[in-house]
Amino acid sequence: MKKVIFSTIAAAAVTLSGQAFAACGSISMADMNWPSATLMANVDRIILEEGYGCEVEMVAGATTTTFASMDAKGKPDVAPELWTNAMAVALGVAMDEGRLHSARKMPIQDLGEGWWVPDYVLAKNPDLKTVLDILERPDLFPAKEDPSKGEFIGCPAGWGCQLSNINLFRAFEMEKKGWILVDPGSQAGLDASMAKAVERGDNWFGYYWSPTEPVGRYNMKLMDFGVPFAGSDNWDGCVALAEQECDDPKPSSWTVSMVHTIVTDNFKTNAPAEAMDYFSKRIYPGPVMGQMLVYMGDNQADGSDAAIEFLQSHEDVWTTWVSADVAAKVKASL
Amino acid sequence: MSFWTDIPSLSRADLRDLKKGIDASFREFSKNYGEGIEAFFDPLYFFLVKLEKLLIAAPWPIILILVGGLAYLGSRSWKLALGSMLAFVVIGYFGMWKDMMATISLISVATIMCIAVGIPIGILMSRYNRVQSAITPILDLMQTIPIFVYLLPVVMLLGIGRVPGLIAVCVYAVPPVIRLTNLGIRLVDKETLEAADAFGSNYRQKLFSVQLPLALPNIFAGVNQTIMMALAMVVIASMIGVKGLGMPVLQSIQNQYLTLGLMNGLAIVALAIIFDRVSQKYGQRLQAHRYGADHE
Repeated sequence: MKKVIFSTIAAAAVTLSGQAFAACGSISMADMNWPSATLMANVDRIILEEGYGCEVEMVAGATTTTFASMDAKGKPDVAPELWTNAMAVALGVAMDEGRLHSARKMPIQDLGEGWWVPDYVLAKNPDLKTVLDILERPDLFPAKEDPSKGEFIGCPAGWGCQLSNINLFRAFEMEKKGWILVDPGSQAGLDASMAKAVERGDNWFGYYWSPTEPVGRYNMKLMDFGVPFAGSDNWDGCVALAEQECDDPKPSSWTVSMVHTIVTDNFKTNAPAEAMDYFSKRIYPGPVMGQMLVYMGDNQADGSDAAIEFLQSHEDVWTTWVSADVAAKVKASL
Repeated sequence: MSFWTDIPSLSRADLRDLKKGIDASFREFSKNYGEGIEAFFDPLYFFLVKLEKLLIAAPWPIILILVGGLAYLGSRSWKLALGSMLAFVVIGYFGMWKDMMATISLISVATIMCIAVGIPIGILMSRYNRVQSAITPILDLMQTIPIFVYLLPVVMLLGIGRVPGLIAVCVYAVPPVIRLTNLGIRLVDKETLEAADAFGSNYRQKLFSVQLPLALPNIFAGVNQTIMMALAMVVIASMIGVKGLGMPVLQSIQNQYLTLGLMNGLAIVALAIIFDRVSQKYGQRLQAHRYGADHE
């Protein structure tokens, strides 16, 4: 709430100061190949085009290829949702040398990986505040194979997160606390196990990540681990490795996935300052992003359809990102 | 002239509503009946869990003796029996014993189920042409439909794990035994059947004393193919959380662990060869009288 009030005031202040738009020119925008990123790219496109007079060209891309191209060639100009853990070092260098800039850190709330439960589990059991509390209650999540044990759905075989989940399972001594780790085998298996449990109102506890459609559709809640992040030595040097290379994993919250809206130096210097200002304010609340992903899934909407839906149905969210003047122009264009 | 260039199609909105409607009704169905259907399969599930736990808990020498014994009983060949035992020892030596036991429990139950369902259906198909023409397209569908198309609905109904895995395996593996039972019975000589009729045998006598024995080579070829196809499904079954040799294969595919993949893949192959040779030899022995050999 505080954030909304603050950004409303900020938006009002910008409006009052009165702005003259510099010509924006043509820019290129990375349209990444997963739903939340293509939605964000299309929202950015409409706002930059209609609100700030830019000409935006969409460039299809994936994480590593887009980053490599931005770093080496300075094209595309904007990557709305770039997951940077895998390229942290190279990005740091590019930012130090002034080739790339982060226009917004964490453009979506509640993003990242972790352990989730459906919201009704928390409503029915208000004493479950953290993962530590859940671990004391395996009886709430009975395993089919052995109902005296709790069932924790891990990450599909062969994914990087499989190792992290196995090691955290060990670190939290979950076996001793009466849990079994179930390998869902594939993303399809993981999704279906969650869908099945929630459709029937059963409890479910397992690994997932956000922003994703199931998280929005089933109102999944990311649990706080109840322990701090135990350092990157523990994570990168043990938890993220194979079981036999990790003798003594320590309980830890999940490593933070860094996501940035990255822009090139060209964009930062040539685009109007208001556009940078827009990016700096643009944070999608987790539930709103979840709703949008459900909308995209249900209607098989592509990014541009979904962007228009977002601009129409979530005016209260995006109008706080821009000045009233720009908001009016964007609204007029819909 | 867009008629000639664009095929008439549902509008995007109608198509979307159609898909949404079917999805929603399936979800509704799963919500209302899923628990009941799951409960129906519970005995099977607990049998699978028990069998797997039993196989894992049993001392390994006993399993080895059992394997050797069964292989010898089936094939009457010392070479094959010793070879099977050796293969099991090697697989265990490379740390795949538990996974192998899980796979064997799934495959044996799947095979038994396929035979129990498949042979009666095959007999029905051979008796009534209508049944044959109704079931043949279903078998075609079962053998060719991409597995994930039905795997996901099954998982939505039954959850991840052994039972949906078993169903997936059987859907894919049961057609050969049905087809070959049907074919085998239909290929039985007309004259032989006339002779049976002339002796006044009823349908049951004809079936059990004439048709089935004479169709055995084909039926056995079907059973053999069913076992092979069930083993081929081990990795796919792992994709919905079935434990066993398939799980490490999946893991190695994703991570380029070449050796892990190869070892587990070869273990599946070894199991397949053992099952194949033993069942083939058994089928041949049943037929030994045909070749004029002096036998039992």
